[in-house]
Amino acid sequence: MAQLALSCILLFQVATVSAGGATVTSIESEVRNNVHYLDARIQYGLTAPMLDALHKGVPLTFVLEIELSRQRNYVWDVTVAELEQRYLLEYHAVTQNYHVKNLNSGASFSLPSLDIALSVLGTIVNLPILDDKLLENEANNIGRLRVQMDIEQLPVPLRLLSYFSSEWHISSEWVTWSLQP
Amino acid sequence: MVAATLRRLGTGFIPVAALSLLLLVSLYLMSAATQNSEQFGRIFFLLLLINVLGLITLLVLIGANLIRLVRQYRSQATGSRLTARLVVIFVVLSLLPVSVLYYFSLGFIQRGIDSWFDVRVETALDDALELTRLSLGERKKEILRRTEMMAEDFHLMPDESPVLLLNDLREQNGAYELVLFNRDMHVLGFSNTDPAVIIPALPDRSLLTQLEYQRNYIGLDNKLGEGLFLRVIVPVQKSNDLTGEVMLQSLYTLSDRVSGMVSSVESAYAEYKRLTLMRDPLKFSFTLTLSLVLLLSCMTAVWAAFFSARRLVAPIRALSIGTRAVASGDYEKILPLHSKDELGFLVESFNDMTRRIALSRDEVNRSQQLVERERAYLRVVLGRLSSGVLTLDKRRRIRTANASASQVLGLDLKLFIGKSIEAIVVDHQWLESFVSAIDKHLSGDEREWREEIKMSGDIGRQILTCAGTAMPAADGKSVGYVIVFDDVTALVQAQRDAAWGEVARRLAHEIKNPLTPIQLSAERLRHKYLDTMASQDADLLDRSTHTIIQQVKVMKEMVQSFSEYAHAPTLNLVPLPVGDFINEILDLYRGDKKIKIEAVLDKNLPLLMMDAVRMRQLLHNLLVNAIDAIDSAEGGLVRVGCHRIENGGAARVELQVQDSGPGIPENMMEQLFEPYVTTKPKGSGLGLAIVKKIVEEHGGSVQAKNTELGGCIIIRFPLDDARQKAVPNEASVNDVDNLELAMEQDLASAGRRKL
Repeated sequence: MAQLALSCILLFQVATVSAGGATVTSIESEVRNNVHYLDARIQYGLTAPMLDALHKGVPLTFVLEIELSRQRNYVWDVTVAELEQRYLLEYHAVTQNYHVKNLNSGASFSLPSLDIALSVLGTIVNLPILDDKLLENEANNIGRLRVQMDIEQLPVPLRLLSYFSSEWHISSEWVTWSLQP
Repeated sequence: MVAATLRRLGTGFIPVAALSLLLLVSLYLMSAATQNSEQFGRIFFLLLLINVLGLITLLVLIGANLIRLVRQYRSQATGSRLTARLVVIFVVLSLLPVSVLYYFSLGFIQRGIDSWFDVRVETALDDALELTRLSLGERKKEILRRTEMMAEDFHLMPDESPVLLLNDLREQNGAYELVLFNRDMHVLGFSNTDPAVIIPALPDRSLLTQLEYQRNYIGLDNKLGEGLFLRVIVPVQKSNDLTGEVMLQSLYTLSDRVSGMVSSVESAYAEYKRLTLMRDPLKFSFTLTLSLVLLLSCMTAVWAAFFSARRLVAPIRALSIGTRAVASGDYEKILPLHSKDELGFLVESFNDMTRRIALSRDEVNRSQQLVERERAYLRVVLGRLSSGVLTLDKRRRIRTANASASQVLGLDLKLFIGKSIEAIVVDHQWLESFVSAIDKHLSGDEREWREEIKMSGDIGRQILTCAGTAMPAADGKSVGYVIVFDDVTALVQAQRDAAWGEVARRLAHEIKNPLTPIQLSAERLRHKYLDTMASQDADLLDRSTHTIIQQVKVMKEMVQSFSEYAHAPTLNLVPLPVGDFINEILDLYRGDKKIKIEAVLDKNLPLLMMDAVRMRQLLHNLLVNAIDAIDSAEGGLVRVGCHRIENGGAARVELQVQDSGPGIPENMMEQLFEPYVTTKPKGSGLGLAIVKKIVEEHGGSVQAKNTELGGCIIIRFPLDDARQKAVPNEASVNDVDNLELAMEQDLASAGRRKL
C-alpha cells in the first residue's frame, strides 16, 4: 500500500560557510511505494585554492556517503545498506558556465553562476535510497549522511599538495536521521 | 630469533637488493603518476607510502650497520678500522657524483617546467578566449532579439494552440527548439526540429530563480550532448496575468565547425590554465620524485658500501684473528675459504702454514713424550736399581740421587740436592771416608775410576764398591760426574761366611770320622789291658786312656759346634713378642747371686718376625758371652736393653747386651764376629760368629763397642710394619715343636753355664 509518511524533518542551523566547508542544513526521508526517498540540502563553500583550481579547469569531485543501519541494544549497530553518490563540478571558460554532473546517474546541469551551481550541487531531491522491505518494522532504524571532497580525483601534482594542506579538505560531519518503515 | 632474522635480512645481499629494486619500480610508477597517468594516479599515495617505508627500512639498516661499526671501532675489533675506511671511501665516491647529478637535475626540472609557460602564449590564449566570447556574444545578442520578438508574438496571440505558432516561429527563426512553459515548469507547448524528440530540454529550476532578478537568460550549453547550443529564456508578458508568468525558451545549435573551434579554444585554454595552476605542485612533485630517487640511490650506495666493505674485510679480518690465534699457540685454526682471488690464495697459504706448524708441533710433542717416557723409564730403572747412583755437577753439587743411594748411605739424599757433596759429612761423620775417596778422584780429574770404600757407622761396618765417571759434554769437557756405588758388605760377609762354613764343615767331616775309632780304640785298650797290667802301668794306662777319651769327647763337642755353624737350619719365622721372649730367657740366668741380670725393655715393643729356636740360641750365646766376660769371683752386672728406634726413616728394634767386664780389646773389634776369635781361655770362638749368623739370617745387623759399663753388643732388627699388622699376636706360640726344642736348648745352655 502506498504510504506517504514524512518520517522526520531535521532542521539545522545554517552554519556560516565562509572560507570553505560543507554543512547539511536539512535532511528528510519519506516512503513512497515502499521505497525510501531522501531529500537533503547541503551548503557548500569552496576555499580560495579550490576556486582557483576550478576556474583554471580542474574539475572537483564531491562524494555523498549514506549509511543506513539498525540500532540494537547493548551491541553494535547492523549496517543495512550503504550508498555513495558522486558529483562533479567544473567550469567552462568560454561559456563561463558551471557544470554539475551526477556521476552515478549521468544527469548534468549547466549553470551560469557558481552560487547556482553550488545550490544545485547541494540539493538532493527524491533520491531513492532503500527498499522498505529491507527494514524491520519494529526496529529503530537510522540513516546518516556525509559529504566530502574527493581529493583522490585531483591531478597528481595537486593531490600531493592537498595531502598536506587543510584547504583542500572539505567534509561535513556525519548527520543522522531516523528512518521509519 | 627475530633479531637473528632481522640481522640476516639486514646483512644479506638478496633482501636489500630486492628492496632496492622494489623501490626503484615504485619510483618509476610514481614518476609516471606525476605525469598525469590515469593508471598509476590512483595508487600514487600507496606508491609514496611504499617508498617512504622502504627508505625508512633502508635507513634503519644503515643505522644498525653504522652503530655496529662504531661499536666495533671503539672496541678496536679486528678489521673495524679497515671497514670504516672502506665505508667512508665508498660513500664519498658514490655520494659526490650523485649529489652533483641531483643538483643539476633539480635545475633542469625548474627550468624545464618554467619553459612550458610563455607570456605570449598565455596572452594569445586569453585573446582567443575573448574572441570566442565576443563572437558568441554577437550571436547571443541576435538570438536574444529574435526570441524577444517571438515572445511578443505570443503576447499578441490568443491563449489557445501555441504549438502551431511555435512551429511557425521556429521555422521562421531557424531555432532548434522552442518551448513555452510556466513557472511551475509546466510545458504549454514545444516544437523541435527533430520530430522524434517528445520531451523538451527544460532549464534547471535554479535558472528560473535567476530570472526573478533579471529580465532574461542567455547562455551557452551543451546539455544535449550534441555539441554546443545557445539557450535563451525570455518571459512572455501577459498584461492580465502577472502571477502565472509564461516563459519562452529557444535553443539554437552552433555549427559543428564553430562548436569544434569553441571546444578547441576552451580545452586548450583550460589545459594551459591547469598547467599554470600546477606549475609549483609539478615542480614539487618532480623534485620529490627526484629526491626520493637520490635518497634511494644514496642509501643503497651506503648500504652497498657497508656490504662490500664487510665482504672485502672478512678474509683480512679472519687472517688477522688467525694470526693472533697462531701467535697464542692455537695451530688448529683453519680459516674459511670464501673466494678464489688473491685474498683466497692468502687464506689458503695461511691454512697451509698453520697445518704445517701443527704437524711440526705434534712431531715435537711426540719426541718430547718419547724423551719423557725414556726419562721415566730411566727413573724407574734407577729407582729399582740396588746400586746407588749419584750425579754431581761440575762444582760437585749433588744433582740427582736415586732411592738406593739414600738407602746405602743411610741418609735422605734428596735433602742435599743442590748442595755440595761435602755438606753431607757435617751431620754424618761416618760418610767421611766415602766423601774423601770421591773427592780424591774428582780432584785428580780422572775420567773413570773404581774403588772399594770401607766405612763404619751406626749400622756397623760397610764396604762399598764405588765407580765414577765424568759426563762429557758435546765439546768434550766434563759437565759433571756419575758415581755408582754398591753396598757389598753383605756380599763380602757372605763370601767370608761361606768360606768359614766350608772350613767348619770339612773340619767336622775330617775330624769327626777318626774320633770314634780313636775313642773306641782307647776304650778297648783300657778294657783289655787295665786289669791285666801291673798297677803302675795300669795307672798310666788308666790316665792316658781317660785323657784320650775326654779329649775325644771335647773334640766331638767342638766338631758338633762347627757342624751347627756350618749347617744352618731353615728359618721358621713367626711373630714374637720380643719383651716377653727376652724376659723368659733372662729368668733362666737369674739364679746366680753374684751376677745381677738387669732388663731395660720398652713397654710397647712390637711383634717381630723371628725363628724362636734360633733367637733363643742367639740370646743364650750373648748372655753366656757376657757372663763369661765378668770375673765370677767379684760378680757384676749384665744389662739387657731392647728399644724401638727410628733412623733415617726406617724403624728398627735394637737389642743391647752390656756387661760390666773389662770390655773388648780394640784390636779385636774388627774380627770379633769371625770364627775362632775369642779372648777366653776356653771356648770354640764360635759364639759371636753364630750370633752374627743368626742376626744376618733375620736381616739385622750386629756391632760391638765399649761403653762406660764395659763391652756391649748391639743388634738391630728391621721392623716390617706391614707384616706386623698382618700377623696376630697369638701366632707366637703356635709352633709347639719349636717351643719344645727351644726349651731343651734353654735348659742345656743354662746347665752348661752352671757347670
